Amino acid sequence: MGLSTFGGREELPLHYRFSGSRQARINPPMPASVRELATLTIERAADGIATISFAVRDHRQNVITRQVFSDLSEALDDLGRGPRPVGVILRSTKEGTFFAGADLDRIDALGSMPAAEVEQVCDTGKAIFGRLSASWPTVAVIDGTCLGGGLELALACDFRVATNAAHTSLGFPEVKLGLLPGWGGTVRASRLIGPGPAIELIASGEAIDGPAAERLTLVDACVPPDVALESAGRIIAMRSGAAVAERRRRLAEPVVLDPAERDFLEATTAVVILGRTGGHYPAPPAILEAILAGAMLDAEAASHLESKTFARLAATPVHRSLLRVFRLGERNRRDPGVGRAVAEAPSPISRAAVVGAGIMGAGIAARHLRSGLGVTLVDIDADALARSVPGILEEAAWDRGAKRADPDAAMALAGRLQTATSLEALAGADLVIESVLERTDLKQKVLADIERAVSPTAIIGTNTSTNPIAKLAEAISEPSRFCGMHFFNPVRRMILVEVIRGPATSDATVAAVVAHAKRLGKCPVVVRDSPGFLVNRVLMPYLHESIEMVREGVEPARIDRVARRFGMPMGPIELYDMIGLDTAFYAGLVLSAAYGDRIDASPLIPAFVKAGRLGRKSGVGFYRFRGTGPKARIVGVDDDAARIVSRYALPPRDNTDRTIADRLLLPMLLEALRVLDEGIVREPSDIDLAVIHALGFPAFRGGLMAWADSLGVDEILRRLEPLADLGVRMQPTASLLERAASGRKFTE
Amino acid sequence: MAKDTTTPVIVACCRTVIGRAHAEKGLYRNVRGDELAAAVVRAAVERSGVDPDTIEDVVLGATQQRGELGGNVARCVALMADLPFSTAGTTVNRLCGSSLEALARAAHAIAAGAADVQVVAGVEHMHHLPMESAVDIHPRVFARSSRGMLSMGLTAEHLAASHGISRRAQEEYAVESHRRAAAATAAGLFEDEIVPVVGHDEQGAIIEAWIDQSIRADTTLEAMAALEPVFLPTIGTVTAATSAPLSDGAAAMVVMSEAEATRQKLEPLARVVATAVIGVPPAAMGTGPIAATRKLLSRPAAAGIALADIDLVELNEAFAAQAIHCIRELGLDAARVNVRGGSLAIGHPLGASGARITTTLLHALRDSGGRYGLATMCIGLGQGIAVLFERMESSR
Repeated sequence: MGLSTFGGREELPLHYRFSGSRQARINPPMPASVRELATLTIERAADGIATISFAVRDHRQNVITRQVFSDLSEALDDLGRGPRPVGVILRSTKEGTFFAGADLDRIDALGSMPAAEVEQVCDTGKAIFGRLSASWPTVAVIDGTCLGGGLELALACDFRVATNAAHTSLGFPEVKLGLLPGWGGTVRASRLIGPGPAIELIASGEAIDGPAAERLTLVDACVPPDVALESAGRIIAMRSGAAVAERRRRLAEPVVLDPAERDFLEATTAVVILGRTGGHYPAPPAILEAILAGAMLDAEAASHLESKTFARLAATPVHRSLLRVFRLGERNRRDPGVGRAVAEAPSPISRAAVVGAGIMGAGIAARHLRSGLGVTLVDIDADALARSVPGILEEAAWDRGAKRADPDAAMALAGRLQTATSLEALAGADLVIESVLERTDLKQKVLADIERAVSPTAIIGTNTSTNPIAKLAEAISEPSRFCGMHFFNPVRRMILVEVIRGPATSDATVAAVVAHAKRLGKCPVVVRDSPGFLVNRVLMPYLHESIEMVREGVEPARIDRVARRFGMPMGPIELYDMIGLDTAFYAGLVLSAAYGDRIDASPLIPAFVKAGRLGRKSGVGFYRFRGTGPKARIVGVDDDAARIVSRYALPPRDNTDRTIADRLLLPMLLEALRVLDEGIVREPSDIDLAVIHALGFPAFRGGLMAWADSLGVDEILRRLEPLADLGVRMQPTASLLERAASGRKFTE
Repeated sequence: MAKDTTTPVIVACCRTVIGRAHAEKGLYRNVRGDELAAAVVRAAVERSGVDPDTIEDVVLGATQQRGELGGNVARCVALMADLPFSTAGTTVNRLCGSSLEALARAAHAIAAGAADVQVVAGVEHMHHLPMESAVDIHPRVFARSSRGMLSMGLTAEHLAASHGISRRAQEEYAVESHRRAAAATAAGLFEDEIVPVVGHDEQGAIIEAWIDQSIRADTTLEAMAALEPVFLPTIGTVTAATSAPLSDGAAAMVVMSEAEATRQKLEPLARVVATAVIGVPPAAMGTGPIAATRKLLSRPAAAGIALADIDLVELNEAFAAQAIHCIRELGLDAARVNVRGGSLAIGHPLGASGARITTTLLHALRDSGGRYGLATMCIGLGQGIAVLFERMESSR
């Protein structure tokens, strides 16, 4: 049996058969009987078709809870007791969702189970899902999110009808939690759509829409929502019992895959996965392996292999870290940003404005448009303003799939972008984000002008990375409505926003800005005013230490390699060259002034700046580049750099790769502990979210604090000890020693 | 194919020089693909001395049949080349094997007595019509293979990795391809087969194109060793130097039955002995020539002819790794393969390459006095094509 004869491919896509038959539509018959369970309703119609309609209470979207399993099992028992149905349709009566996945609390619980018990969880689910293709034909109607366990439930049915609605999405996000589908998803998907496409779908974790699912044969038909139920009924009517039995038989067999194709698929996919994961994530290679090995087995043996693989992945620290980070993100979305709930939820910002059409201002404006919000962009420089508009519209209308801006969308968005050269245009705004150059006097002047131009209730935010909010607030007569709103570059990609409370900022202001940042699709973290705020403050020790090591004679490429191996998206030296050494120099001044006992302004950076070596933008910094700008590529280091470094050489130390990693990361951790001690952030998880989303700290390590927990305080002290002679920056803080005594975890 | 009055013979063949598909530097950046095709069709007809009124059909291979090569470009080319209205035109697509396929179809029609005089041609303009745009392959194709097989470079990487073909071996092969092509160019060996078309040089001035633009007489192993792998960054072995360049060009020939050639008093270059096409796993597309050649030699028409009897081979070089693998597997004598250099040096304008290598093969066979010649190519999505020729005495 070849794949070509697999799973109904010989049949015409159903929509061809439907064409022209609309007028023949029959009204759904009245249910002959109805039975309600906690999470579902069973209806038997007079035409012999039974419908199981899910609606899981207390969840915004349907999720697969223990109760869903027992109710489904009971529903199937119930249908078995009465007159034999012609077919069974599974659907959701909850708007916009079929099933969004397994209940996360259940996934959380796996962490404390032994492997055998985890396998049992898989096998129990599979046994119940397996009943969906054991008797009468079953059809899942998918109108809304159909993800993870939800898609596995749909695949366990004989047939699937998806809707072409925008809210319909199908996918396996398990890999993003370091897992693979454990209820038969790998087995059924690889048999339905072929191992290659199944690996792509499952190892990427990306969701697809209804039409794409139909092309992939993941679903049997894709139709408008109003005819989905009817189409499901027609599938049952069109397929004979023998055809259904034949399809089930074929899906139970191994997949026939040519050995040459298999080898090629394995080799090329392994390379792609290694390139994407850097070898840090165990799930994608495990998915590849389980699907390729499972393809050679019959479905039952493949399913067993899947359960075993699931249990193995569920026990990995990477899974625990990814799950925690995911849940932190969820919690962030619910967090109003202020300790005690503000008397009432902030009323949403109806008109936002951005002042300053530089890179950041333009990025913030584009983000508003992309989030469906109108925005006013003000810059007194008419030329700069005009220059920024095409880029803003392109970014806002960017079509990721087509890799270009959608011209129609750009036209439509142009109407929602208002530009002005005078602050008078701010009169109607209820939030103004000032984003002019990072010069304190300029910012203060512009902020004062803004306050005069806006309504008395408007909130004023400033996008700054180095200016103390307290200092800028001096220019504002009503500082309770003022706060920092630090976006990261590039705004389109970096989801973190530091919301910085000045000394007088009100809770209402913070809550409104936090809510607005979320509407922009961002992850806001509220911090108190302090030099470098949170992100740059914990980043600076990492950057600073890398320079010290260069001065000790460590090769820049080696430092970067060690950082990458740890999981950072780029090493500190590469990062310096990307930020620009001049920019880094000025940012460093602010931090060394504030934290001089541990971060001194290294003489190396100004020496490089003086030599015109500004990094990527000038074609040469620590590294030499081919080309300049974002597309420049590192070609190596040169002798001139070595000469400058030698002028500021420090005595060499015994820097092993392990020491290099410790020296980069431990000062970061110590600074994060100080941030916590000073109450700059509200809780340790804010630090983890911030370093992951702003610095690319590896999510598989769970963030800085989770990484510290994985080492344990004793190990951290042991590693710091030989570094203590480097100064305060490597010496344990009082709170670290307190943790050593109390055993309190870093994430607590 | 039996040697009787329906034996297909080739009475003339010619080609343009092959240009780089490059927006700023390509020879033909301002010349349309259909113009290149019309130029070689007109030249082939003139050089053959065939009576244009006897030409039944123009069979033209092209892989990107849209834009300037859309709308059944073969018919347009026939009209542009001033062939009589009675000469029909059809455009065929077997990807890289398109114009070898066009030749095979013309030969089959002649052998069957279903048609006689035909012009066979091939054209590609990879600058104006890039190969990956406007293609939407159904994901079900990947159910039996994988999306990765769409990258010919990845299939070459896999072939190299799974058969131990080192980067160095690929580069040595490519250097030799350039050396041979440069030597043949310097010795004027391509002059008879070239139809000069006026293109533009790198500065933009017009130039009558006599030299294939991608041949690098001065290339070295050291220069190649400095290149980055294209398809698998850092760990790969296949570079731009060991992949056929993206190219623009055209080639054409006139074919007819031996009886008709005699009647028109034309002197054929060679007869078409046998043809074969075959499918292989898409991921192993580079091995197509191995399977196709074996099938070719098992044809009744090729009975008694062994690989050792074949004097010259044109094996299209899509990638050095793929060519090396085919030579090794078939046990070919490298000295007889691509004696005037291959597509790595000359270029690979996909739809034109079958007619291009045939043109070069038949001229080399004429000059060497050899008897049998083989043209074979690998084809994307897993196919191979091979055609066996026998030189005819009259061509000496």
